[in-house]
Amino acid sequence: MRALLPALSLSVSVLLALFPPAGRAADAPLSEVVRETAAPAAVTGLQARDYLDNNDRGDKIELSWCLSADDGAGALSVLEYRVWRSQAPDEQGELVATLEPGTAAHVDTGVTPGVAYYYRVEAFDGALSSPAATAGPAVGRINLFQTSRLPVLVLSLAFFAMVIWFTRLAARGTNLFVRRIPGLNAVEEAVGRATEMGRPVLYVPGIGEIDDIQTIASLTILSHVAKIAAEYETPLIVPTARSVVMSAAEEVVKEAYAEAGHPDNYNPDNIRYLSDAQFAFAGAVSGIMMRERPAANLYLGAFWAESLLFAETGFETKAIQVAGTANVSQLPFFVTACDYTLLGEELYAASAYLSREPKLLGGLKGSDWMKVITICIIVAGVVLTALGVPQFGRWFFTQ
Amino acid sequence: MNRLGKFLQIDRRWIFLAILIAVLAPFIWPMGLPIVITKPVQDLYNAVDAIPPNGEPLFISIDYSPSTVPELDPMALAILRHAFSKDIRVAVLTLDPAGYGLAERALEAVAAEFGKERHKDYVFLGFQPGISAVVLGMGINIRNVFPEDAYGTPLSEVPMMEGIRNYDQIPLLITLSGTAVVEAWVIYAHQPYDAQIGAGVTAVMATDYYPFLDTGQLVGMLGGMRGAAEYETLIDRHDAGVRGMDSQSVIHILIIVLIVVGNIAYFGSRKRAPETAGGDAAA
Amino acid sequence: MNMTLIGTTLAALLTIAVYSFLYKDNPFYKFAEHLVVGVSAGYYLVIYYYNFIDPTVVSPVFRLRIGGDAILLGGVDWWMALIPGLLGLILYARFFPKIGWVSRWALGIYVGGYSGLGIAPVMQARVLDQIRGGALPVHALHTGQGWTNLLLVVGLLGTLTYFFFSLKHKGVLGGLARIGIVFIMVGFGASFGYTVMSRVSLLIGRMNFLLHDWLRIV
Repeated sequence: MRALLPALSLSVSVLLALFPPAGRAADAPLSEVVRETAAPAAVTGLQARDYLDNNDRGDKIELSWCLSADDGAGALSVLEYRVWRSQAPDEQGELVATLEPGTAAHVDTGVTPGVAYYYRVEAFDGALSSPAATAGPAVGRINLFQTSRLPVLVLSLAFFAMVIWFTRLAARGTNLFVRRIPGLNAVEEAVGRATEMGRPVLYVPGIGEIDDIQTIASLTILSHVAKIAAEYETPLIVPTARSVVMSAAEEVVKEAYAEAGHPDNYNPDNIRYLSDAQFAFAGAVSGIMMRERPAANLYLGAFWAESLLFAETGFETKAIQVAGTANVSQLPFFVTACDYTLLGEELYAASAYLSREPKLLGGLKGSDWMKVITICIIVAGVVLTALGVPQFGRWFFTQ
Repeated sequence: MNRLGKFLQIDRRWIFLAILIAVLAPFIWPMGLPIVITKPVQDLYNAVDAIPPNGEPLFISIDYSPSTVPELDPMALAILRHAFSKDIRVAVLTLDPAGYGLAERALEAVAAEFGKERHKDYVFLGFQPGISAVVLGMGINIRNVFPEDAYGTPLSEVPMMEGIRNYDQIPLLITLSGTAVVEAWVIYAHQPYDAQIGAGVTAVMATDYYPFLDTGQLVGMLGGMRGAAEYETLIDRHDAGVRGMDSQSVIHILIIVLIVVGNIAYFGSRKRAPETAGGDAAA
Repeated sequence: MNMTLIGTTLAALLTIAVYSFLYKDNPFYKFAEHLVVGVSAGYYLVIYYYNFIDPTVVSPVFRLRIGGDAILLGGVDWWMALIPGLLGLILYARFFPKIGWVSRWALGIYVGGYSGLGIAPVMQARVLDQIRGGALPVHALHTGQGWTNLLLVVGLLGTLTYFFFSLKHKGVLGGLARIGIVFIMVGFGASFGYTVMSRVSLLIGRMNFLLHDWLRIV
């Protein structure tokens, strides 16, 4: 009996050695069981720094390290890396990522810009974690300048420089050539026709807000039209869809009448605010056309879907119609139903041509030369692409 | 005046009557004309399909008003049905004050169809003014512009919005609009923040946005009622978009015939009599 | 009586009243037109107040909202809302001739702010990306895509030339501008076709409403 226990334990040990149970200890001889309680090797060279990308909002921190010596090989093969983040150097903080073996870098997103963070990276083998490698403080910073946006800066500066240069030239009195827009003759002819027929002129400055550049260009042309109407003593009706545009139009028309020497003929009731709602405005203007029967309809400014309603109703009343807008989608209707149309930028050119205002002229000339630059770049791009140099396009690719 | 010239003088009310009949007839006698899927629509469908279920939500911005409902509402309903059928979570917002009621109506109707639960499967963020300010603000943090949903629940208490901070966590945002709002999304969301933007637009505006499609600034695009019909075909539905296609085709053929006849009449009458007064009867 | 039915019937009658304009101008059309103008003015007044003025100025500054709790946007203090609100009010100074000049300050800040926000993204989206899209391979003329690319580049250059105002359109420049206007007109034709589709869709939508929602005969 006394020999039974040692024999039994010897048998069990031999059996365990020959047929070990499944588990890590299976690979390890008995002498190495003591080493199994050791953790895997720590990662080394951990660095944490602000992450730089195209679109940096300062909310990312980049981590990099050298893999643990036990990664991918050896008895203590790493199962995963664990990344901890805290705001104090001696705190473990929260677990922000678990990464697969072989990963030597990570981008921590969602950090608050300007706040210092401390990081710990541990290698975990399924049972134990390595000693933590630490790094920090790392602070996410919003970049002052995105280098990938350099082409935007270069082109913008070139454009501004040209506009300012031409504006100065115009202000000094230099004669800057702008070819006459044929549509302007049509505008003057329309007002003349209305005078002959003894009927009013209808001028719709679009439904854009006062800050819309098309509305501003339209008001410049309105001033010119109002002067002619004042000289010929033709009533001028100006319906508007925005209250601020109405008050601007009132000023413009009143000044024009005064400059033409007919301040008493100015009728403020002819400058009317109708409605902010697009189709309500369209309906009201159509109503004016049917009831007051203007002989000339001028649509110059920002228009949207109501453009066709105006053009069709005006066509029915047999009025002479001249239109101009930079909203390309509306140009087809104006071209179809109006006697003359100012296409897109011709509206701005017309207002610059009429007013000779240095800022308008400068802007027009600047954009003209911008077009020249654009044409040159496109031609260069086409030629280079044909010669098998597609990298050219990448300079413009800022994403 | 010769016969051709007389044709140009035809009372336009006869043409209105012809168009009325052309619209009504296919409603009463549907023809079931085939619908071919175009690349922009297929691209948008694929982009929505690729969103993993029960994960980061698809954002839909319903930026239209009642005047463009016939074209854009079928798109909204089709996209919602597609998303809910694939268990994709949806967040709906609107940048148009009149779009609030339309958005709510579409979302609640389709969610009820699929038995979806508010705050778990979908959320309605409501309306915020400012367009570009809202789009830019969402790039920093959605909660800065939408602190609560449309019914007053703080976003921090909406389970499906957990972890959704800005465009980095939005796989796709589709804007449905008849105005230049689409351009605001491209310029203020895609350019600075790399947000993936898809669009559903009225046919009038579609030509304005084709350049954005070609350069990859838009992931895909639905154009007009035709775009809605194609999307409905892709999800095997026969709703308002598909139903309207028969009438659309018949009217287009009628208009082509009128344009051709009108041009023949115009040039023919000019040959006989140099100056013929009056307008062109065809559209 | 069912309120939905009354609403639908009213909408249908107003639709028919507006469409009666196609026959000729008549009192029903005039009534519908004036009703739309009046109702839209009132509707937008309420919408703009509750969705613009209230959340951006009244709620943050006065901490009150008519008919509910004040809406407080994250990180917006009362003075952050007050200053832009005052600038907005100053815009209306232009209705008073003596102090009208003040409104130009507010307008300047408004226009300048939005321009600043917009210049770089628009330069990127509307110019640079489009230039990149325009530098196409046009040499592969043995393929259909090569001809498409060539057509696109020629049209693009012609259109840019048409809108060049610093020189008269004579000689080579004139020839290129003429090519440009041809492409522009073709483009307008395509756009017009799309728009016909759009307008027809609106008509189809209205007919659907009249036949399906109101009369329920389809």
